[in-house]
Amino acid sequence: MRFLIATARKDMLRLRRDWPALLLWIGIPLLVGGLLVLVFGGESNPRARLLVADLDGSLAGRLLTGGFTQGPLAEIVDVEGVDAAEGRRRMEDGDASALLVIPDGFGGALLDARPAALELVTNPAQTILPGILETTLDVELEAAEVLRRLFAAPIDRIAGDVERDGFPPDSLVASVAAAVNRTGAGASEWLLPPAIDLEIAGPADEGFDFGRAFFPGMLILALLFMSTGLSTDLWSERRLGTLERAMVAPRGLAGFLAGKWLAGAAALALVAAVGLAAGRWAFGIEIANPVLAFAWLAVTGVALLAGFTLMQVLARTERAANVLVNAVTLPLAMLGGSFFPFETMPGWMVAIGRSTPNGWALLRLREIIDGAPQLGMLAVSTLTVAAFLALSAWLVTRRVRSWAA
Amino acid sequence: MIQVESLRKEYDGIVAVDDVSFDARPGEIFGLLGPNGAGKSTTIGCISGLLGPTAGSVRVQGHDVAREPVAAKSRMGIVPQDVALYEDLPAEENLRFWAEAYGLSGQRLAERVRDVLETVGLADRGHDRVETFSGGMKRRLNFGCGIVHEPQVLLLDEPTVGVDPQSRVRLLDLVRDQAHAGVCVLYTTHYMEEAEALCDRLAILDHGKIIAAGTLEELRGSMGERDLVRLSGAFDPEAMGHAIQEIEGIEMVAVGHDQVTLAAAAASRRLPEILTLVAGTGAAVRETTVTRPSLESLFIRLTGKDLRE
Repeated sequence: MRFLIATARKDMLRLRRDWPALLLWIGIPLLVGGLLVLVFGGESNPRARLLVADLDGSLAGRLLTGGFTQGPLAEIVDVEGVDAAEGRRRMEDGDASALLVIPDGFGGALLDARPAALELVTNPAQTILPGILETTLDVELEAAEVLRRLFAAPIDRIAGDVERDGFPPDSLVASVAAAVNRTGAGASEWLLPPAIDLEIAGPADEGFDFGRAFFPGMLILALLFMSTGLSTDLWSERRLGTLERAMVAPRGLAGFLAGKWLAGAAALALVAAVGLAAGRWAFGIEIANPVLAFAWLAVTGVALLAGFTLMQVLARTERAANVLVNAVTLPLAMLGGSFFPFETMPGWMVAIGRSTPNGWALLRLREIIDGAPQLGMLAVSTLTVAAFLALSAWLVTRRVRSWAA
Repeated sequence: MIQVESLRKEYDGIVAVDDVSFDARPGEIFGLLGPNGAGKSTTIGCISGLLGPTAGSVRVQGHDVAREPVAAKSRMGIVPQDVALYEDLPAEENLRFWAEAYGLSGQRLAERVRDVLETVGLADRGHDRVETFSGGMKRRLNFGCGIVHEPQVLLLDEPTVGVDPQSRVRLLDLVRDQAHAGVCVLYTTHYMEEAEALCDRLAILDHGKIIAAGTLEELRGSMGERDLVRLSGAFDPEAMGHAIQEIEGIEMVAVGHDQVTLAAAAASRRLPEILTLVAGTGAAVRETTVTRPSLESLFIRLTGKDLRE
């Protein structure tokens, strides 16, 4: 036990002296997270910017544009009027989700049932928001066509009068209103079905919070990077000759390895604490159970350290070990929800990502942060980690002993 | 003390140490002398418990290293061939860590760290990181880490390799001090002069076997009063073999196409006779060296080769 504590103390001293590395391990995930949040607009809910170049200026064009800011769409779409040239330039700059060009004569063509081409230019760098705008435009055009068919006769009369006199007389307006009313009443059987008051039970839709979605992934990413870095230390000890020296000490290798992992655990726990504190106070993220989150992060960190140490010692050379660990770390980070939240990943990738060690740890962490930890699953997970630690320790010890022979 | 009995170590069928036996006593410096690859480091590895012997046994202060590793290892200190230190830590932290590794704590630990820094001449550099030290200072601290827990048995594996002459002298003094303090020192080297100057008893290893053992006087005595004569040039080995047989009191130690080694009493007086005979074989001698009896000449006589070959 004394050798274990002495080794842990020695390694913590060495880590403290290597504080730039410690800062990097914390800083890189924060930097990556910050950049990703900035890429997605830095807001809780992403918003689509629709540029509209209305070359027609008709009522139909205004109704079409207004449709994008009605109801729930108003929460995610900003509409901005531009001239066509400016709109195209801004689309070139990637400044908006889409540009809608309403051609001159669009209103007339709609009333006369003549063909007209609307132009919707979408931003290829975005996927979800331009898709929403395109679908909305399709629905609006469908609706306009249905309305035009239903009220074709009164519309034609008004259109003809407007063309002749410039403004329809009151009698014409009154007769058209009566005709619309009659058509509406006739179609009411289909247009006005019995009203159903639909109440949706369940949690309120709080929208997609990017900061909240990224934060747990960033914490796991920090642990991933840090455990990768810490795992290289056995090779350093071998290079320094201190590993061999430790192996001839009375308490030998087991205490030495345990001490190294204890120091690693302390450093990982420190990073976890700093990360949680930063999330709570710097980014305003509510953490339902900070103590449990901290404990889970520490457990996760040690398990990752054990796994990477095992990979390191299984390699034949230090260079091969580093290549192997890096080749594993980056895909794990990508798939396991650390670089990109699971919500933004395709389904097949999510299925793989949830099965990675860090993805699995991330899911448990998110449950804890959201205040909905499945305690049974958490207990099983912790026991699994403990078993993995014991197995890794046994394998690493065996492998390192074989280095001496 | 160290008792090594019939020690054998094989690596994948290759015998690195073969039937090695010796005792080293308290207060004695026992040298293991041999060229690179002779099996010295493997022997040290088996004694320290780093390597498991294929056969045989090692006892340290009466404790079998394989069966009672903790008891045996806690009485041993080791100074490895290469410097084994944490360069990013101060000297005193290095000493402290290795002292704790051997169970020291509290006041005794603090005293030992202070004393060892004094002993190895680094008292004023204790707070400095090792990476700022010269090679000689690192060697001394490396030695200090091996003695910080006051071992009864000290294993030194070629501790002066690559050390400047001044630091070497200082290190050898430190080793002598340990022996004077009653420590049993096992010292491996391939430097003849170091072994002659330092060791009370020696075992000469070659190809994993002990080929000679005893005190320096005993080993020199086994050479008799014969000098070594080394001739360099161009030779016919077969003709040389026949010619040397004709001269009484001269022994052929080794013969090759470019070098011949002979052993003879009062060789410098017999040189004209030897050279005449050699010339009769058609050989061309470019250089002649006569060496007085020494460990080196003994090694050459026993193995037919130079220790540094």
